Amino acid sequence: MAKSVSADAISTILANPSPESSADVPEIVVQVVDLKATGTGGSRIMFSASDGKRKLRAILPASMSSEVMSGKIQNLGLIRILDYTLNDIPNKPDKYLIVTNCEVVSPPLESEIVSEVKSEETGIFLKPKQESEIKSEVKSEAPGIVLRPKQEMVAKSAAQIVHEQRENMAPAARMSMTRRVFPLVSLNPYQGSWTIKVRVTSKGNMRTYKNARGEGCVFNIELTDEDGTQIQATMFNEAAKKFYDRFQLGKVYYISKGSLKLANKQFKTVKNDYEMTLNENSEVEEARNEETFVPETKFDFVQIDELGPYVNAKELVDVIGVVQNVSPTMSIRRKSDNENIPKRDITIADETKKTVVVSLWNELATNIGQELLDTANQSPIVAIKSLRVGDFQGVSLSTIGRSTVIVNPDIPEAKKLRSWYDSEGKESSMASVSAGMSPSTKSGSRSMYSDRISLSHVTSNPSLGEDKPVFFSIRGYISFIKPDQTMWYRACKTCNKKVTEALGAGYWCEGCQKNEEECNLRYIMVVKVSDASGEAYLSAFNEDAEKIVGCSADELEKLKSQVGEENSFQTKLKEATWNSHLFRISVAQNEYNHEKRQRITVRAVAPVDFAAESRFLLEEISKMRVSK
Amino acid sequence: MDTSNPAVFVNAELLRLYVGRRVRAVIQVLRSDGGVVTGKSTDDNQILVKGSPTSPLSKFVEVVGIADGEKSIHAEIWTNFGDTFETHTYNQLCQLANGEFKHMFL
Repeated sequence: MAKSVSADAISTILANPSPESSADVPEIVVQVVDLKATGTGGSRIMFSASDGKRKLRAILPASMSSEVMSGKIQNLGLIRILDYTLNDIPNKPDKYLIVTNCEVVSPPLESEIVSEVKSEETGIFLKPKQESEIKSEVKSEAPGIVLRPKQEMVAKSAAQIVHEQRENMAPAARMSMTRRVFPLVSLNPYQGSWTIKVRVTSKGNMRTYKNARGEGCVFNIELTDEDGTQIQATMFNEAAKKFYDRFQLGKVYYISKGSLKLANKQFKTVKNDYEMTLNENSEVEEARNEETFVPETKFDFVQIDELGPYVNAKELVDVIGVVQNVSPTMSIRRKSDNENIPKRDITIADETKKTVVVSLWNELATNIGQELLDTANQSPIVAIKSLRVGDFQGVSLSTIGRSTVIVNPDIPEAKKLRSWYDSEGKESSMASVSAGMSPSTKSGSRSMYSDRISLSHVTSNPSLGEDKPVFFSIRGYISFIKPDQTMWYRACKTCNKKVTEALGAGYWCEGCQKNEEECNLRYIMVVKVSDASGEAYLSAFNEDAEKIVGCSADELEKLKSQVGEENSFQTKLKEATWNSHLFRISVAQNEYNHEKRQRITVRAVAPVDFAAESRFLLEEISKMRVSK
Repeated sequence: MDTSNPAVFVNAELLRLYVGRRVRAVIQVLRSDGGVVTGKSTDDNQILVKGSPTSPLSKFVEVVGIADGEKSIHAEIWTNFGDTFETHTYNQLCQLANGEFKHMFL
């Protein structure tokens, strides 16, 4: 039985794309590499057929998937191709091979065969993006995959290093180097004996829960293998306690004896049909000396000026930006359990010349936050994964248990940002992304028709919003804007927080920790709104108040300070009165001197679309008749 | 406000029921010649409107006047409603205003 591939097997196949019959097929033995089972139930088997020199993308028909599932055909094994067809890929010069009949020649070899090099290497190799098979076990600073153009030289030095490493390793580690590692993509619930080699790319906090069956604790981790495939793994109770400290973010582990099940789409955060559970019998072993083995955190950045559509959405975002300022640590009391948790706000900017505030919570506030504060004057670049987008001050980002923060990451986006900042960004003036956000964000149009109520529904229900704020939409008229109320506050141009007058000249921003010559005025006002059912007082912040009044706070202040007979300030407010708008509001409870008071806040304002409103009313009327 | 003689919201179908009464209707102007405007009612039928508007008409017009035939109105007031109008919504208004909510209008 051949123990190796047929020389130039791929060329042979390419020369004869569709043999008449299997009798026509010469001896073709290839090595199966990059074996992937995709599709439902792993019925679609894809791999690369390698003859040591060249590779051809190939697929096995569904009928042969059982051979793969049963383990007869495995990655790095040899197969003799008995019958095949070579097909063109539309619009590409490449071809792909359909293996219609084959037989197993050899179980998985130690490594991928490369014809020029005879050295015996272990199954550690990097996936090259180009045709040439380059392997490099050389440690590098860069987290990515390093490719070298000269094959022979590298292969030798890799073998040398591997050899040296082996001699220095402890027996257990040497054993693990000969372990057969399965690609994450090939795992399925029906094949139990696998070992994976993965990096922990995300680690959640330990959470405690109480349900009908009792109490427990749980935590999740996100695992990524060298192909970039990701899977979420969960551990409960004993397993959680056992492995929580063992799993460390960024380290690589061999894992076996876990179980797989279909992922719950509602809670899925990672692109994988399956999710993994580890119990106390699962095996977890740290892979030492594997710093650059698997790719690091994969980011999918959203530019700051494109955050609008994500506000209040379930989807989490990744951002990268230059740190403009870091606030001191604040202690926030969590309402649900009265615990005090640390928080720190940082403002970041990117090439869109927009800034956004990111709230770092818990360890991120105390650890990384401190690091950022110490190096703030060097304008470090920070990349953050898995942020929730809120609507505080228009757009605000917040970290969650799962978020990852990397300072000055060695990735192309960071390099681009650095060179932009050093050349022009440093000097240019930035604006907060919240200012001038388009009105057609999610909270603007669609939700103006959901949860539509009358004002009396809110005012007659004093306990609304007791635990957490409740959201509604209403249509009403501005019935009164009190001229003598504090309508605005002085705000920092960068982070929108309140500034205080600095000794001397200018204004001091506590958040940005710096003095600015100028500041903006931002609205914070109370307006009376009426509809057919009643009236109520609503609090409105800058962007919404601007729509109600019809000008910015700075402009209104100018009118107010005008001296003369004409009272343009009062006129402006009168003109805003008795205009109808659609409002998105939140109702919550505030405590004032031990008294609970209802607080209604405007979250969005939109003009009344009379055609749409009429249609809405007709619908409501027809609902009335049905319920009679 | 004089509420003694309210004009009934009509489309072509309802106009027949109110001959001799004061009515109001929104029509889409199809033709205008010699003191008669041919309009499309909000339920896709034709209504003739007699009279001379004092200014050029837009695509959609509201006329208030006396129904002097099953398909015609003698107009007293012409009001331009512009070039876009939700005829379907108006039509439903006509039906509601003459149906179960008649007491609120007449």
